[in-house]
Amino acid sequence: MRHVTPVHICCGAGGVGKTTSSAALALAHARAGARVVVLTIDPARRLADALGVRVGSEPSPVLLPPELGARGTLHALMLDPKETFDRVVSRYAPTAEARDRIYRNHIYEHASANLAGAQEYMAMERLHELAREDRWDCVVLDTPPTHHALDFLAAPERMANLMDEGVMRWIVLPASRGGWRMLERGSEVLAGVLERMVGSSAIADIAEFFTAFQALWDGFRERSVEVRALLSAPTTRFFLVTTPAPAARAEARLFVDQLRAHRQPLAGFFVNRCLTAPSAPGTPHFGPDPQTRGWAEAVAMLSALPERQRVRVAAQEASIAELVEGTAAPVWRIPDLGESVHDLRGIIRVSQYVTEAAATGGAW
Amino acid sequence: MIRARMPAFDSLLTRRVVVVTGKGGVGKTSVSAAIGLLAARRGHRTLLCETSGADQICGRFGVPSGVYSVTALSPELSTLSIQPEAAIEEYLLRMLRFRKLYEMVFKNRVMGPFIDAVPGLHDLIQLGKVFDLEREIDPRRRARAWDLVVVDAPATGHGISMLTAPRGMMRLTRSGPFHNNARDVAGLIEDPARTAIVLVSLPEELAVSETTDLYGRLGSFQSQVAGIVLNGVNATALPDDYAALRPALLAGADPAGRHAIDLADGLLRRQGAEDRARASLKRLGPPVVDLPDLEVANLGSPELNRLATCLGCAT
Repeated sequence: MRHVTPVHICCGAGGVGKTTSSAALALAHARAGARVVVLTIDPARRLADALGVRVGSEPSPVLLPPELGARGTLHALMLDPKETFDRVVSRYAPTAEARDRIYRNHIYEHASANLAGAQEYMAMERLHELAREDRWDCVVLDTPPTHHALDFLAAPERMANLMDEGVMRWIVLPASRGGWRMLERGSEVLAGVLERMVGSSAIADIAEFFTAFQALWDGFRERSVEVRALLSAPTTRFFLVTTPAPAARAEARLFVDQLRAHRQPLAGFFVNRCLTAPSAPGTPHFGPDPQTRGWAEAVAMLSALPERQRVRVAAQEASIAELVEGTAAPVWRIPDLGESVHDLRGIIRVSQYVTEAAATGGAW
Repeated sequence: MIRARMPAFDSLLTRRVVVVTGKGGVGKTSVSAAIGLLAARRGHRTLLCETSGADQICGRFGVPSGVYSVTALSPELSTLSIQPEAAIEEYLLRMLRFRKLYEMVFKNRVMGPFIDAVPGLHDLIQLGKVFDLEREIDPRRRARAWDLVVVDAPATGHGISMLTAPRGMMRLTRSGPFHNNARDVAGLIEDPARTAIVLVSLPEELAVSETTDLYGRLGSFQSQVAGIVLNGVNATALPDDYAALRPALLAGADPAGRHAIDLADGLLRRQGAEDRARASLKRLGPPVVDLPDLEVANLGSPELNRLATCLGCAT
């Protein structure tokens, strides 16, 4: 059997620091000696700048400061769904005409430009390409912020279903005979209903789309089976990124349930923006009152802060307890590093908190 | 000229539909719930719709949720989770009129996956459901069932996909009942008199830049943005002369005192970030309203009611 490159997938809702966590996890691997590539989805531009990633680029090396003493290497790239889709079509199309016919198709134009639909599938497609390259010890995937939390897991399955032989026979053959006739009994009724509903020009577009794709189907089906195998490989690990905020936790719980439904074990939680309990116990003292205006007020305010922090930390821990309930997955707390982390230095700081996570999953 | 300071969100409540969107994890559901509660307090019969397929609202209010059915939270406020699969079935069933025909056409191994793969279909049909709810007549009252439908829409990119889904379907089909239906839905969603959009953001650089980007990408929907909510604003104020006193305080501080000063410095940085975020968001044009960070592990009914009060007072 072919060597399977370990894949570490960071999933979670949008806005919880998923891209930063993915980059930090990849960096932790690189520091430990792995040749890592991180595939990011739509990161904030400043983060892309920090990593030296361009849209639609091939993996580009991230320049790590020598004092970091990283024994491995880190590459990064940013998914361009439209470009990936075009490339897939180009790869599987037998001729340039077949390729251009697809590029020009109405439905293809819609499907490939509609990021919401194509992004998940294209992320899987690109992941698969990377996992096949021998030059990586580990691939880290920053998943797209999906509305339906784990859409990307079902994406290859869906594509495979769509590429099912039955669909081909049903839609393409009649179209290629110039009419919308069905092979199965009762299918003329079906065709009539469909045509009435979406209009005949859409039916023509759909038929044209499937006809044009016919030559590519074997490639697609083969690919989706491979992606499924890659996702369920024992070396593939899922990390759930979240924050202690109630809204983020609620979304994270949906991920936990969905991972369970997909029988994908959870390798751990990354909880970003965690508060830390006051380091020094007791009531704060600030020396004698110099009788300056506002002194007493300031002291009163400051004295209340540690207790307030304790209350907030308690609320946070209650939130984390609810988050992990019913799972045995470890939790890595990443402290609130103030302003959003958006440069390499910030990513290096975060990576210190996920070293252990990288080691746990370090099958390479 | 002195202008009367009207609560910023009052004009919102006179529309028929409010679509709430923003970056993931900014608290769209909480803000949607707060808008719903505020509308209900002002006497509007309000329906709060979730589109994520989850039933978060019922959970927050501590009531059991029905399967694709309206749940009453109070006399004036109800909620419904518009599950995409159930909405699609309902929609197609109505188009085809007969369950048998529906099952024949769509419940086979060929069309099932195909329906799943049509880009934007889920979004369109969820919006179609909102369209139906807006027109729904309560037979007992012989009046519109809902004065206001609040839609807790998907995050940024998906939110835009949802708003533009009717146009996408119109381009794709060009004629037929799907086309006509999409045109009707677009008519409601694109009508500034009936549909308003609320964006939710956080006092963080990334969240603000995403909101700015989202606002730009809204295109012709921009004029419908009735407000931007800056969520999670710190509620603890530092005394004005703290900055001037800080060196003296630090000089005399014991370890616990130094730690308290660290915490205060964190608050100062946070306030700076909040001021910058508010200024950036205000430049976009629509009114910006603060909502406080309640610093609790769970946002249940009492907390959401507090947020509704804040929204109602904000000018």
